[in-house]
This record gives sequence, C-alpha cells and structure tokens, in this order.
Amino acid sequence: MSPADVGVRLAGLREEFDRSFAEPARRHDVEYAELLAVHAGGRPYALRLSQASGLHSDRPVTPLPGPQPALLGVAGFGGAIVPVYDLAALLGHALPERPRWLVLAAGAPPLALAFHGLDGHVRVPATDIVEEAGGHDGRDVLRGMVPLAGGTRPIVDLPAARAAVHRLTGHNPHVQEEP
Amino acid sequence: MSQDPLRYFRVEARELVDQISAGVLDLDQHPGTEPVARLLRFAHTLKGAARVVRQQEIADRAHAFEEVLVPHRSDEGPLPAAELRELLRLNDEIEAYVSAIEPGEKPAPAPHPQAPGPREAHAAEPAPAARTATADVDDLLDAIGEAHARFAPLRTGGLSLERLHRAAETLADQLRTGRATAGTRAARAAAVRLAVDLGAFSRQLADTVEQAERELDEVRGRAERLRLVAASGIFTALHRAVRDAADAEGKRVRFEGRGGDLRLDPQVLTLAGSALLHIVRNAVVHGIETEQRRVTAGKPAEGTVLVTVERRGRYAAFLCTDDGRGFDLVALRRTAEARGLLTPGDPAPAEDALVDLVLRGGISTSPTVTEVAGRGIGLDVARDVAEQLGGHVSVRTGTGRGTTIELVLPLALLSLHGLVVEAAGTVASVPLDSVRTCVRLAPEQAAAAVMTGKLAYDGEAVPFLPLARALYAGSTVPENAGPGVAVVVAADDECVAVGVDRLAGTSTLVVRPLPELAPAAPVIGGVSMDLDGNPRLVLDAQGLVAETARLGTLGAVPSPATPRLPILVVDDSLTTRMLERSILESAGYEVDLAASGEEGLEKARSRRYGLYLTDIDMPGIDGFTFVAETRADPELSGVPAILVSSRASAEDRARGADVGASAYVVKGEFDQEELLAHIRRLVPA
Repeated sequence: MSPADVGVRLAGLREEFDRSFAEPARRHDVEYAELLAVHAGGRPYALRLSQASGLHSDRPVTPLPGPQPALLGVAGFGGAIVPVYDLAALLGHALPERPRWLVLAAGAPPLALAFHGLDGHVRVPATDIVEEAGGHDGRDVLRGMVPLAGGTRPIVDLPAARAAVHRLTGHNPHVQEEP
Repeated sequence: MSQDPLRYFRVEARELVDQISAGVLDLDQHPGTEPVARLLRFAHTLKGAARVVRQQEIADRAHAFEEVLVPHRSDEGPLPAAELRELLRLNDEIEAYVSAIEPGEKPAPAPHPQAPGPREAHAAEPAPAARTATADVDDLLDAIGEAHARFAPLRTGGLSLERLHRAAETLADQLRTGRATAGTRAARAAAVRLAVDLGAFSRQLADTVEQAERELDEVRGRAERLRLVAASGIFTALHRAVRDAADAEGKRVRFEGRGGDLRLDPQVLTLAGSALLHIVRNAVVHGIETEQRRVTAGKPAEGTVLVTVERRGRYAAFLCTDDGRGFDLVALRRTAEARGLLTPGDPAPAEDALVDLVLRGGISTSPTVTEVAGRGIGLDVARDVAEQLGGHVSVRTGTGRGTTIELVLPLALLSLHGLVVEAAGTVASVPLDSVRTCVRLAPEQAAAAVMTGKLAYDGEAVPFLPLARALYAGSTVPENAGPGVAVVVAADDECVAVGVDRLAGTSTLVVRPLPELAPAAPVIGGVSMDLDGNPRLVLDAQGLVAETARLGTLGAVPSPATPRLPILVVDDSLTTRMLERSILESAGYEVDLAASGEEGLEKARSRRYGLYLTDIDMPGIDGFTFVAETRADPELSGVPAILVSSRASAEDRARGADVGASAYVVKGEFDQEELLAHIRRLVPA
C-alpha cells in the first residue's frame, strides 16, 4: 500500500468518523419489542427480552431430588445458586430430553427457565403483537401472540411463569423482595 | 504496590484495639498481674506502631493508658474503679481513632467518644464488629478460579498424550506382524519403548493434574471459610455493654461467652450481635437485681449474664441467659389484658404461653414505659432480626429464677468438612462430622444390602440406603455399577449405611442453603460450589436417616413414580431372582418374580408386563418354551422377552432367536450394564 493510498483511506475514515457525530442518534423506540423466538417441548414460543436478565446455553445443571418434577435442578451464576425450571413442563408438555438453553427471569428470588431451542432474536413493531389481557389454556403463563416468519407464536410471559413457579413452591409473594 | 502508608497499621491497630478492649474487661473480671502485663504489652506495641505512621492521637492515648497501668504492675488486687473507668475511656477513644482511619471513614476531624455510661437502649449505634477481609478473600477466590482455568489445557493435553500412547502401541503391533528383518526389529523395539514411555508419562500427568485439582479445591474451601468469622468476635462488645450497664446501675455483673469458636456468616453474626447488645443490656438493667436483693434472695451477690452460641443443624442459636429476677408475670398479664390479648378473668395461661403472647403482640409499642416494656425493646430488635433472616425468638423465664432469650437464625453460609462421594454419576458431599466410618463392599455384599435394605456393621443390622435411589427418587437411576462403599452416617443417635459408588476424598466446604424456589428432598441439606462455580449437593445426615426409614417402610422398593410397565423375572434360582430384582429396582423398574416357567406363564396372563426376563434351564417348562408359548399367545406376543442363561453356545443363542427372544444374555459374563441397555431398548419409558 503506497503512502498516497494510506492518505486517501485515512481521509475516508476521518470523514466517516465525523459524519457519525453529525447524524442524529438512532433511537430504539418503545414501539418496538425485542423478542426471542424459542422452542420448548417441541413447540414454538416467543419470550420478551425485556423480561429476561440473561440467556445462557449448556450450563451444567445439578439435578435436585424433590417434589417438583418441573424443577430440573440448580445452576451456578456468578456465585449465586439459581433454581432451573423446565419451561415445557410449566406449559404442560415436557419432553424427556433435557433443555440446553436457560433464560434468567428478571426479578427476585433468582429463577431460570430452560427451553430446548433458540430460533433467533427478532425485533418487531409492538403493534404486531396481539395482546391479551388474560392467558389461555387456563395456565396463565402465555400472554399474547406474535406473527413471525414460520407462523404465529404464543408469547411466554416471564413474570406469569415466575408467578406459576411461586405457586408451585408455595412461595409467599408478601415476603418477596424487590428486584 | 500500595502507596497507602496506613495499610498495615490499620490491620495491626485493629487487632491490638480488639485485644485491649477484651483485656480491660478481662482485668475487670479477673484482676491480677498477668492481665496488667498483657495490656501493657499491647498498649506499648500500639504506641510504637502509631508513632511510626505519625498517628499522634493514638500514640498519646496508648501512652496515657500505659501510665494508668504501670503503678499496678505488681498488684494482685483489682484496680480502683476510677482508674478502670479511665482505661475504658481511653480504650474507647483509641477505638474511635482507629475506626476513623479505616477505609470508608472520614479521616478527620477526630471523633470524640462519649464517656462510657448507660446508653439509650434503642439508640442507633454500630453493631459489634464482625470483621472479615471479604474483598481480599474474593480476590483470592478469583485467583484460584483463574488457576483452575489453567488446568483445562493440561487436561486436554493429557487426552492428546493418551492418543499418542495408543498410536505408538498400534505402531508397535503393526511392526510385530511384518516380516522380521534387522531393521524392523529395531524399529519395533523403538516403538514399544515409545509406547511404554508415553503410557507412563500420560498416567503421571493425569495423576498430577488430578491431585493438583484436588488440592486447589481444598484451598478454595479454606479460602471460603475465611469469609466466615468466629462468633467470639461479638463477645467483647457484649461484655463491654454488660459492664457499662452494670456500672450505670450500680450492680455487679459477670459476663461469660461460650461457643466462640463457631464460624459464621459475618452478616448473620453482625445482626445477631446488634440484637444481643440490647438483650444483654436489658438483662442487666431489668433482669439482674441489686446486690442487696440478690443476697436477700439467697443468690450470689454478683449477677451473671451468659451468652452461648451453638450450631443446630442449619441454624445458629444465640442464647442470653441471666440469673436475675425473671419477667414480672403479673405485669405481663396486665399488659396483655390492656392490649386486648387476654380477657380479664380468663384462666391464667402457662408462663411460656403468656410470654409468647406478649412477645407476638409487640409490647414495645406500649405507650407506658414500664420495666416490661423496657424488655420489649430488646425483644423487638431480636424479633426484627429473626424476621429479616427467617429465624425465630423465644423466651423462657421464671419469676425469681432468671430469663433465657433465644434467637435462632438460619445459617446462610456454614463451613464444614465434607466427605465427597459419587453415586450414579452424581457428586455429593456428606458432612464429615456425621460420618462414623466407611466400609468397602464386595459385589455380593452390596447386592445383599440392596436386596435386604440392611447392612451388617459392628454386630448390628444397620438400615441401608443406596444413595442413587435417594438422589434419583421419582426418576430413572442411570445405569451404574452399584454401591462399592457404605458410608455409615449417624444423626440423632441413629445410624444408617449409605451406599455410594466411590469416595472421592474430603474437602472443606462452605454450605449454602437451597435457593427459595428450589424445594428438595430432605436428604439434601444444602449446596456448595465446586471449582467451576457449579452447585454440588451437600447431604443432610438427619434427612438420610429419615429417608431410609421412609423407604424402609415401603419395603425397600422405590416408589413407582414412572408409570412404566413392570418386568416379570422367571428363574428357579432364588439368588438370580433376587439379584435381577435388585438391579432392575435400582434402575427404577417394578419387578414381579416367578420361580418356574409354569408360574411365569400364569403371571404373564394375569397382568400386563413391559418385559419378560427368563432363565432357560428350569424344571418343568424351560425358558425356550416359555418364550415360544408367550409368542404364540396373541395377547402376550407383543411383550419382549430376554433369555438369561449360563448356556453360551451359538446353537442356544440361535434357538433363542428362533423362538422369538429379543435378546440373549449369558450369566457367566453377566453384565448389568448390558442387561439394562437391552431393557431400556425394549421397554419404552
């Protein structure tokens, strides 16, 4: 590369750099929803990213013998011990194979939900989401639907899933700490 | 390198101040030349160190402290009260200056500690210090984690080396089969040598890595233990509170602390310490009588406040016992009635019930400040702490006999030594203090123990629990070789033998409670972290005893949690029947037994089975016939059959396949793994 080429390239980079400041900042508007397209127990679902505090794959989960079949075990996250529940089991259609993805539900106490496959991350206009006040199936974990490539997916509401786990474990919401 | 000139002085000064604080109180309680000499030593060291780092205020007070003590160097008797008070005052001032130079404190202006005296019982004040170098320990744990991460390439290196070793062996083998010339002979010898050297090196590397990892694990456990602090850390502050309160009240009170060696989570200890501060003060002010009254009541003139710390399973109990007058139950009853907790004229409740009632009702909010209400404040603080941490408070009192207030708090972190065991691929730890002994089991002993649910140990039949069964309760036990070692665990005067595959050494553990949303079987006492930060189960001795009793009442048969069809075992040999049953049951199958082909056919027609497992050589109908007959019956032909026989000939195998057996297992080369693999293939989950 000759010195002249370098000069041209440098000028180009400078210009680009300056332009990036001149342009108005791009904004992530509230009218968009960030979703994770997932598979749990062989069925497609969507999760709202804003309700999650982390996504992990292939974390070792130590099985815990106990009364809850949906409880896969406990996993370590940065020194904290987090219970891992099978999302498919909470939705009532568990599969024998262990799910390899974990999503940490926002809030307290710590809780992770496991699902089998991650299909991708999508950003959709909020108006595309079919909102529903209650849940269906009487299970109260699914809230709304979203049309995505490949079909419409029910949305798993993580706070509702958390509430379902709290009910299962008899966790008293009155003593629940603030997140 | 730190530029902070006070870095080391802080640590030393803190230690000396703690020793001086404890020493003055000790001198108060046990006068003599020895405590005086010790205090002089501490004060002198502090003075010197303070001068070096130009902490003149501290040096001056340490000097003044020495001046008070020097004339009493050879006094056996107690110090005059005024001088002791002066020592305490100087002690407080030094303490305040030392606290001021600790990180997070404003360095100047220097604080002016109050003269010791009765403090407001409900005033906000720092809790007794339960200090720990948490940040340093966290750094250390991070460093250990880093060191452990460096082992990953070593482990993969070990695997590569093992591959090289096998390649060299293959090469040596290939050279052996070739035409033998002088050249190939030499090459072969070289290849053999290479294979041997590589093999030895590979084993050595694997051993070293394993050992280093074990040691690193131990270091991690000990480092985590450093985060915990000794319970005795709160005693000095409590002693001082008792002394100050007694001084203000003109009473003579002795303080005693017991169980100071227990190491606890600093947060729990600090909160318990702050509650106890109120409780001991109340014990002195409201509990201990004046000297005169005590003597009249026939008690020693000097009152006693005893604080005991003890571990109760996953809880720590803090007890404050005084030998004072006890609660005024009449006044308590009046308070209870006034607050509408009792209706006047009700039959008198028992003392404990009355105290509990008032405790729950919260007498501290009573508008009239009575002696009882004064007690209430201390109890309120204790109750707040208990509520905050999920513990409880109880009170035992007897009029004229004294009071014990008990604060029981769950231990968030607890350090113990654990025996690391493996069962069916799961690693778990058993608290070492509950382990009596470990017994190696021969395969037939293990099979008998699994079968009968008992193990002969020390002349007794001890209940036997295969750990795999407890760990996989409600699901299929992964195939495993069966217990190789029995760990005899004792709890509450009962012993159980826990069958594990193997022992994997001992380790220092810090046990954490299970997270809130993870209910577990009672055999699980908590979790610890392994080197990779993954949870590892810690078993609970009481839970193991209880689980063994529960399974024992079920006839040592695991609960059929899976709705799988049962398996029918047909064999004329009792031993074989029992062995097969134990294998199948450990793997989570329900099993029916038949002692002959005839009985087998009868049972097969009376119930739906998932599989038949049959012997060949039996009197009457043999196994071939059994299989053939069931194949011929349209109702039964869908149920797969496995032949298990000592016959190993090709003809027998062919005949088995002809009659329709799905598999053929030879008893002589009986392999549990192979059998279970066949069964898993044939019986849908």
